[in-house]
Amino acid sequence: MNPVTLSEIVMNRASLLCLVTAVLLAGAVRAAAPLTVTQKGLQFSVADLSVSKGQIVVFVNDDRTAHNITVTGEGLALNGGLQQPGAEFKVPFAKPGTYQVSCGIHPKMKLSVTVK
Amino acid sequence: MPGRDRSWICVALFLCGALSIASAGTSDEPHPLLADFRRPAAVPVIKTNPTTPEKVALGQMLFFDPRLSGSGIIACATCHNPALAWSDALPKGIGHMGNRLRRHTPTILNVAYGEPYFWDGRAATLEDQAKGPLTSEAEMNMPAEVAVKRILSIPGYVTAFAYAFPGKPVSVDTIAAAIASYERTVVSNSAPFDKWVAGDEGAVSASAKRGFSLFNGKANCAACHSGWRMTDDGFHDIGITGTDRGRAAIAPGIVQLEYAFKTPTLRNINQRAPYMHDGSLATLSAVIDHYDSGFVSRPSLDTQMHQLSLTPDEKADLLAFLDTLTSVDSPAVVPQLPQ
Repeated sequence: MNPVTLSEIVMNRASLLCLVTAVLLAGAVRAAAPLTVTQKGLQFSVADLSVSKGQIVVFVNDDRTAHNITVTGEGLALNGGLQQPGAEFKVPFAKPGTYQVSCGIHPKMKLSVTVK
Repeated sequence: MPGRDRSWICVALFLCGALSIASAGTSDEPHPLLADFRRPAAVPVIKTNPTTPEKVALGQMLFFDPRLSGSGIIACATCHNPALAWSDALPKGIGHMGNRLRRHTPTILNVAYGEPYFWDGRAATLEDQAKGPLTSEAEMNMPAEVAVKRILSIPGYVTAFAYAFPGKPVSVDTIAAAIASYERTVVSNSAPFDKWVAGDEGAVSASAKRGFSLFNGKANCAACHSGWRMTDDGFHDIGITGTDRGRAAIAPGIVQLEYAFKTPTLRNINQRAPYMHDGSLATLSAVIDHYDSGFVSRPSLDTQMHQLSLTPDEKADLLAFLDTLTSVDSPAVVPQLPQ
């Protein structure tokens, strides 16, 4: 086996740094991608959700009954109107804070969203 | 064991398994939707007001005590009468000094599971609900501070509150917490339908089984009357005529919530006539006729509502199914009230 020179160690570390940076950037890109939450069995698929600032959450009605998306918090009061079975409703969370998502038709359906 | 013998045993076991699966596909197979209606194992636990025997005992006394009303003659049990399936058999409730209320009295049967409360869902918790009729001028007409004074004037209650809420003063909050704790114990027993869900194919009639299929199919009742209590605890405009805006007055901005009211449970429904939020339909047959073709069309009408064209036999099957939802419950105990 050939001995490793100092310059090779520096090069390897630089490559490693590039690789780590690329992975982190890729992760950041992935984190900003839209998140999907389904509505099925009169429940959201998650009870709590943490998203990045500006990230979009896509609500998909997988029930056979109509739903509604109402979002409150941080000065926001968003009413998505009627959401038919199979329909999507996209909510961009632009401002950091805590939001409550519920269904106006089935108020037992609740979801807390934390935006960082 | 030689390898060839083992392989024959494997083939035999496979065939036995295949035959078992095949036999499950016969008419004896449970209805595939029954599992959606299975009762939960336990009553929900409320972290902010954990149920204790002391709270339940106190709440039971308060529930039956007419001294908790401004007139001294109306108790919670006056409208939520256990002898009438925890309702009052009237189209609309009667409040303070004979005041006719604007809506039908809902049952408190299985109310532990049914948030939010009232026909329009304006109370998020059972504790909040209990305060409503108590302090409403139209109903029990008992201002919170007067209720507290009256409780404090009855030594037996002072002792009962001290046991139920150690270290807490008597307040409208503790009064409501005790009443809610008692109400959470009002749970229906197993009905013939539950026995069918549990696997007893002989628990309900063939007509009732056809009714269950209609309930989930052509009649589309299960679109809203879902789960073991047969309610989604949601709000729907089902086309009852009238000017009461229902849920829309609480949650404005959604067209479909105009004239929308909370889906009632169907447990023990054949004991709770008349029906609908305004008590306008006297019988279950009239209710089925309403859903069949008697509703009014308007922009807020729930999208699940459509003409059903049910035959007389299908209507009879639906009624037979609804009858299987009634349980034989233990008689409510009316407590001795403190002095």
